[in-house]
Amino acid sequence: MSQLTAGRHPSSGPPMAVAVGGRVGATRWWRTPTARRYAFGYTLLAPAVLYVTLLVGVPFLFSLYLALSDASVGSPVAQFVGLENFKAALETSVFWVAVRNTLIFTLGAGILKGLLGTTLAFLLSQPFKGRRVVRGLIVIPFTLPIAVSVLGWKWMFDSQFSVINWALSHMGLIGGYGTDSWPVWLGQPTLALLSVMFVNVWRGFPFSAIVLMAGMTSVPPEIIDAGKVDGASFLQRFRKIIVPMIAPILFIGSAFDTVFTLSDLSVVYLLTNGGPDGATEILPTLAYRTGIAAGALGRGAAISLMLFPLLLPLIVILLRSLRRRQY
Amino acid sequence: MATVAAAAPARLPRTERQRSVRRHLLIYLGLTPFLVIAVFPLFWMAITAIKQEPDLYRMDIVPFWFHLPPTWKNFDFLFHRTSYGDWIINTMSIAFWVSAITLVTAVPAGYALARLRLPAAENLGIGIFMTYLVPGIILFIPLSRVVAILGFQDSWWSLVVVYPTITIPFCTWLLSGFFKTVPFEIEEAAMVDGCGQLGALLRVVLPVSWPGVITAMIFSFTLSMQDFLYALAFISVSDQKPVPLGVATELIRGDVYFWGSLMAGALLVGVPVAIVYNLFLDRFISGITGAAIK
Repeated sequence: MSQLTAGRHPSSGPPMAVAVGGRVGATRWWRTPTARRYAFGYTLLAPAVLYVTLLVGVPFLFSLYLALSDASVGSPVAQFVGLENFKAALETSVFWVAVRNTLIFTLGAGILKGLLGTTLAFLLSQPFKGRRVVRGLIVIPFTLPIAVSVLGWKWMFDSQFSVINWALSHMGLIGGYGTDSWPVWLGQPTLALLSVMFVNVWRGFPFSAIVLMAGMTSVPPEIIDAGKVDGASFLQRFRKIIVPMIAPILFIGSAFDTVFTLSDLSVVYLLTNGGPDGATEILPTLAYRTGIAAGALGRGAAISLMLFPLLLPLIVILLRSLRRRQY
Repeated sequence: MATVAAAAPARLPRTERQRSVRRHLLIYLGLTPFLVIAVFPLFWMAITAIKQEPDLYRMDIVPFWFHLPPTWKNFDFLFHRTSYGDWIINTMSIAFWVSAITLVTAVPAGYALARLRLPAAENLGIGIFMTYLVPGIILFIPLSRVVAILGFQDSWWSLVVVYPTITIPFCTWLLSGFFKTVPFEIEEAAMVDGCGQLGALLRVVLPVSWPGVITAMIFSFTLSMQDFLYALAFISVSDQKPVPLGVATELIRGDVYFWGSLMAGALLVGVPVAIVYNLFLDRFISGITGAAIK
């Protein structure tokens, strides 16, 4: 390998000339440094590309196929049934309940995470003593494995021995166990939906805050100083300088978080398993129950693919922002 | 701060100090609710894990401390009456294999994308990262078939096969960012000294990029403790489960919850993961959001 290949210019001149020279040149095109570098590069890339193609790309296409078939765990030979699975799903009321809950859950939790995350990011971006410790403690919800923390919440939401209820009743805000004003967090439809949303927010707000903080430190202080010199008040600086500069970051952070929220089943599965009576059913839990627990692969695949229209715009937005990242 | 105070007139330091104290109080006041909400569940899980059973079910006394002496019984129960030992071994084995597969594929891929000026490198990189954004909830049903065809159903090997679909895209992206920061000159010098391109990668670029490689390794290693969906979908045999799934499914018998052991089992894996994750959090975050920030 010559020094030429180590140069930074994408089109290395001499090898091209040799290639054009063809028969006259002693070096064939496939032996030029550029060609060898390409071969080396694509060889290095091949395992990763193959892996994700075979285990993400192919399964994705396979799920389209499953959704159009009556495949189930029991019967290996599937018949093509067209859009029957989608039609059948659309005709059940539980599907629409799941869609409604998915939207409420995702939007409601998303807005709350944005608000709490922004507040927290502003507090944490101030210089104060013990900042690192506070930050380390506040990100705990995001760093604990999700199944682990949800089990903790399940215990805290216990119908009889909930520590939350203990605190509320000792503050006099609710009555004793068994009275009407004793909340059964996971047992009452509205409360159950609020509870699963709350746990999602609890897990996600540190992520929003951290993403925002990373963004805020990238707002050059000179710009803010310039604003001050020009006589802009705090509110003006906030509205005209800081908000426009951090809004894109908040947006990207929320988009990432929404992709994860839309596709997360563990909070609902472990806390309520969709109950009581479908009050917390979301598309992921419905897809799991239909496709895996009941073994109706085709129906399950159709339901989980219904998430795709919700995910696609987010994915496009995220990919665009990534394209801007390095090039 | 100190130099400013020293340079200012003698009267100023005190008022500045007062202002600083007031500012700190306000900030702490604002942070307190966040801190309580973030940390309390962990405290509650920890105290539950070492309380005696009767102490858990008393609503007439303050529940935030012990009324009977703390106990290790719940941990004992885990290791002697459940397959917890197996779950830990499974989790560690999955973590090991997933990190190995990820490093072997993502390090070369990240290097090729960052360094070799391949045509279409940008689009390939984005294509690989895109697969990170296709969530498990779309893939878990077809992958359950793939796993069955490979003969890995109800075996922890199914997760070894599937988790790299998450870790390879993420780590390739993360590592290519790291490799871009290594100066070209180092590599050139190595090649002048007679290293081939591969030699330069192994002997020069990798050693200076070890923070990135470690970050990728940690991400892959902890993933098998973070995931729940794939484990739930693929494995229903007790002794093949990883810890989060085992704890969440095997310590509940009908309506009976073994809360003490549940919390003990969850924390035994959760706390180490949380600590490690905490240390690497900024690197993970910059991996996915470098986007809008740069």
